[in-house]
Amino acid sequence: MDKLPLALDPNFSGASEDFPAILRRKSLLQSAPEPTAAAGNRTFIPTESTTILAFKFAGGVLVAGDRRATAGNTVVYDRADKVLEIDRHSIMAIAGVPATAWEMARVLEHSFQYFRRTQLQEMSVDGKVRALSKLLRDNFGFVMQGVGVVVPIFATYDGNSKPEARLYFYDAMGAQFEVTDYAATGSGSPAVRGILYYENNWGDKKLRELNEDEAIAIALRALDTAAEADTSTGGVDRSGKIFPLIKTVSRDGITTLPEEKIAQVFRQSVA
Amino acid sequence: MIEEPYRWVEAIANRREYIETQLAAGSPIAAVGYRDGILFVTVGRARQKIFEIYDRIAMGAIGHPGDIERLRMAAIELASTEGFTRSAADVSLRRLAHYSLSSVMKSAFEQVYGPPYLARLLFAEIGSSPKEDLFLRIDYDGAIAADGLTAQPRQRFAVLSGTRQSAEWMETFLRKEHVTDAALPDAISLALDAWSVGRLAMGENANKELPERDAVRKHREEELAKAGIEAAVLERDRKSAIRYRTLADEEVRSALQK
Repeated sequence: MDKLPLALDPNFSGASEDFPAILRRKSLLQSAPEPTAAAGNRTFIPTESTTILAFKFAGGVLVAGDRRATAGNTVVYDRADKVLEIDRHSIMAIAGVPATAWEMARVLEHSFQYFRRTQLQEMSVDGKVRALSKLLRDNFGFVMQGVGVVVPIFATYDGNSKPEARLYFYDAMGAQFEVTDYAATGSGSPAVRGILYYENNWGDKKLRELNEDEAIAIALRALDTAAEADTSTGGVDRSGKIFPLIKTVSRDGITTLPEEKIAQVFRQSVA
Repeated sequence: MIEEPYRWVEAIANRREYIETQLAAGSPIAAVGYRDGILFVTVGRARQKIFEIYDRIAMGAIGHPGDIERLRMAAIELASTEGFTRSAADVSLRRLAHYSLSSVMKSAFEQVYGPPYLARLLFAEIGSSPKEDLFLRIDYDGAIAADGLTAQPRQRFAVLSGTRQSAEWMETFLRKEHVTDAALPDAISLALDAWSVGRLAMGENANKELPERDAVRKHREEELAKAGIEAAVLERDRKSAIRYRTLADEEVRSALQK
């Protein structure tokens, strides 16, 4: 008799496996090779060609990313989405190798839903942050081989006892860092970090006090500045009318800002 | 014992009787189509009986909690891996039931040296139009009863109960009273009536015939005063991909006031 498509574990325990473990058991998720000494001798060159930024403002967290995807010196796509919704209140914005990053976002999205459905409760924010950290750590073998580096930002709204927006950035090995005000990642991020630091300390208002229009303006200016010097960042394509992707997270969930709105703020405050 | 075919048939018959006795006390669950989707309702005693399986699939169950949990986990795992490797649109209740759950439950039931699943499951899947909705019931022996798979006239509701009599009465009642384009509050009220009809058919002092409308209402009021209402909906036109939503007890009761 053929093996049944569904083999139930006789020693079943509801919480024994997380979703990535199930995917590995079914050979649906590739395991990265262990980082070896041979791989370790290679010089590690980070190649996260993009610009992603996120900061807290009066209405929650704003996350923005340019739209350009590159392969070496070539621009391969100018409408890439690098700001991805993971669940109703969580955004993962990605810098790095798109194939790995999108797969990671998909695993993460399904992990949160799988946990919520099987355990009949929402995963805690700390649990979610840790889940992404673990995926990055599991991917590190690929990173050391020179493929598959991903350096994400994670923004979410914690609806628990002390409701507040939370913002994290990661390194390629999976260490997570919670930030109070802003985070940026990708090849264009040094310029962005400079702008956000300046605005937060000496701007008209602190980032946290900005209303939505003001926050959009700062985000667009920062991305445009990054694109000025970084070939891998698309910024705002004035001729093609391609604008960065901007999403906000608040108590009510995620809002994708409509392109007309971004275009309007761009004309008023940036162009 | 099972060298002889006759003994095997006898063993299976005994096992069936045993399981039916175990399930006989299970509180009924009604799933009814309404204007904006599909509604699941039961009146709660001790534990949760209505669950989310995937974006468009809900499950109601009666039986042993351990067995229900294992089947529920298996269903979620299958749907989630399918949704992950292909897409949410490729997750189908028909395949989940026919290729996986039914065969597993059947072989557990017929292998007389192993434990059977003490569970009876009711599933619904919401489609992009009412025509594509699917209701499906799987029994402990793997038998499937479905509404929406063949060309037969659709009834757009389904019930689950501890006894055959109870389920039959609920179906008779719903066949008479159910309208497919009811608003949510009306659908809740109807489903609760159906629950009462099913409940009145069970136990020692069960009614001998389908109860009158007043008797149903009286029974329902008495029960609702001492137990919680458990309800969930699959909403057709929800913005999010996840169509399943739990209705809190207060939400259901305030809808009934209107």
